[in-house]
Amino acid sequence: MSGRESILARLRRGARRTAAHPGEHPAPQLAAGFAPFAEALRAAGGAHHGPLPQNKLAAKVREIAARRAPQGRVLAEPSAAALLGPGPWETPAPDAAGHGFEDAAITIALGQVGCAENAAVLVTGRDAPHRALLFLCRHLLLLLPLRAIAGDFHSALAALPLNALAHHHCTWICGPSKTADIEQTLVQGAHGPLSLDVIAIAPGGESGAQ
Amino acid sequence: MLARAGLGGRLGGSGVRGMRDSFEARAVAGLPEGARLARHDAAVFALRGQRDAAVAAVRDWEALRERAAAIKAHALDHLDLLLERFEEKARGAGAFLHWAQDGEAMNAIVAELLAARGAKRVVKSKSMLTEEAGLNRYLHARGAEVVDTDLGERIVQLGEERPSHIIVPAIHRSRGEVGALFQRTLGTPPGMDNPEQLARAARRDLRARFLAADAGITGANFAIAETGSIVVVTNEGNADLGMSLPELHIACFGIEKVIPALADLGVFLRLLARSATGQPLSAYTSMVTGPRAGGELHLVLVDNGRSELLADPVQRGALACIRCGACLNTCPVFRRAGGHAYGPGAPGPIGAVLAPALGGRNARNGRGPRGGRNARSGSGRAQNFAASLPLASSLCGSCSAVCPVRIDLHGQLLAWRSARRSGGAVERVMLRAAAGLMLRPRLLAFAGRVLRRLWRPLGWRIPGNPAAPWLQSRELPPHPGASFRESWQRETR
Ligand code: SF4
Repeated sequence: MSGRESILARLRRGARRTAAHPGEHPAPQLAAGFAPFAEALRAAGGAHHGPLPQNKLAAKVREIAARRAPQGRVLAEPSAAALLGPGPWETPAPDAAGHGFEDAAITIALGQVGCAENAAVLVTGRDAPHRALLFLCRHLLLLLPLRAIAGDFHSALAALPLNALAHHHCTWICGPSKTADIEQTLVQGAHGPLSLDVIAIAPGGESGAQ
Repeated sequence: MLARAGLGGRLGGSGVRGMRDSFEARAVAGLPEGARLARHDAAVFALRGQRDAAVAAVRDWEALRERAAAIKAHALDHLDLLLERFEEKARGAGAFLHWAQDGEAMNAIVAELLAARGAKRVVKSKSMLTEEAGLNRYLHARGAEVVDTDLGERIVQLGEERPSHIIVPAIHRSRGEVGALFQRTLGTPPGMDNPEQLARAARRDLRARFLAADAGITGANFAIAETGSIVVVTNEGNADLGMSLPELHIACFGIEKVIPALADLGVFLRLLARSATGQPLSAYTSMVTGPRAGGELHLVLVDNGRSELLADPVQRGALACIRCGACLNTCPVFRRAGGHAYGPGAPGPIGAVLAPALGGRNARNGRGPRGGRNARSGSGRAQNFAASLPLASSLCGSCSAVCPVRIDLHGQLLAWRSARRSGGAVERVMLRAAAGLMLRPRLLAFAGRVLRRLWRPLGWRIPGNPAAPWLQSRELPPHPGASFRESWQRETR
């Protein structure tokens, strides 16, 4: 018998088939919107901006980029670049490997769902086809439609766009990369970005979002 | 201090002062002194404090725990069906599935995957399972360079020791010790002990390794049967770099990690980080479904004793564990003994519950001899060590009270104790004598009077006193001078 078959045979012997699935947890009805999201984001070490109409996004991005990494290399994933329009950011070629972006100062990507309970922003594989960019850059900047912010995490998961899982990864990002492994002192930027900025997009201004 | 076990270092030799290898022996050998103990205790308990503050802010916390326990009970009752569903969905998404009966089989599968692709440089993120199975050592012996990339794991890897905590692997090390270690291994300047500078030094070193890696190995916190996705949670983003840069991603995880549906994930994720560090969610929660463009994803489903544990009506509950570490942080024994006093798998209460079932298998990665095919019929020494772990508990129940999936940890520890065959002739005689004494009130009162006179000398001064190891690490409290009965009579006279 193969490893698979003998494992499954043993599991069948131990499977009691008695406990029913309890059903979905009722969503706790937490406040949605940008204010609680922004508060949770601050607690997670991130910074919030907006909400801004789409035509003001590019200026805000330039301002943040100038502060975080003047003269640094700025990369915008395709859907974020489409929202921002032309600017001092480059869009990686569809087949580019992550290794070419080791010197990225800032990566800009579009989030599809936000969650006020924990400040998580969902970035799908469709919006970040070069996944390594989200982690190689020194600073990450996410654009998030205001209407996409759910109150609690159950509702946020339920709002996952159709086929979101079909693009290899869906990543919930909650503040910058961090560690407290040395004497429990919090250090931002363990391996990934040292900072995270989230710009909320005012309703009606997110044509690139699903 | 660094050469000692427990909080300080590794156990040298098979035992301490003639004691067999056991939790007591390792804890006694490793008991830290003054400041080190206070620092460890405070650091671990601070995590418990952070957890409490986070939990207090969640109105539906108890309902969440109940839901999580019920989902896990359902999942364990249908594990075979869920795994088959997961397999079908993951394959459909383009992943390769492998099944490993035990840690040795998992190691062989990973080694073969690497060898077939000529992959020598491997970056690995935190995984208790690969620790449990000794994967690093196995791959090193076959010419691969495996680098642990979680900062805490990297510290213990450079220090050639084991992680001492599930969530904070180097919690037993001070900043000064990490500074000295990095000076020796990474060439940082002497005296550098600022955590931020040390973390930056590790980042620089590891960034180069990520970029040069041929393969990334991760664990998985959850596997979702409905979608065939794995979920990997980190704060550092190390697992994400490891699965985004190299073309080959291998994820090894226990078969108990499978949950039925995506909606269930919300329940566990709302519990996990809050229980672990007090964060509402860790920095990165990655749901990975199939390989990335141009890459390969291999999922290794590992049994290593779990299917046998599932058949145990009492102990199967431990398979619900989501490895949050909360039971460690609250445990008075763990906080003082440190994680190295436990076996090579998880430390703390959950480690003490799992070890008697899985311990013999894991012994090959620890200091014991090679484990047998079945832990319960495994090698004597490994089995003895694993069997000693359920004794490392005051049974205060704090672990069960904080467990986000409501595992009856102290109940299971008690069950292991009941199932344990007597520890030896001395223990048997003492227990029988104690039972005889308890049944005879007059004799008990007399024995109490005698004991109060012999209070001090009874400790370490009597050669061969079986209580001596217990007394090596603590002072006997002053005795009350009179029994409760005597005090009561005096007060009510
Ligand atoms: S047993 Fe419970 S508290 Fe302990 S690590 Fe597992 S889930 Fe966390």
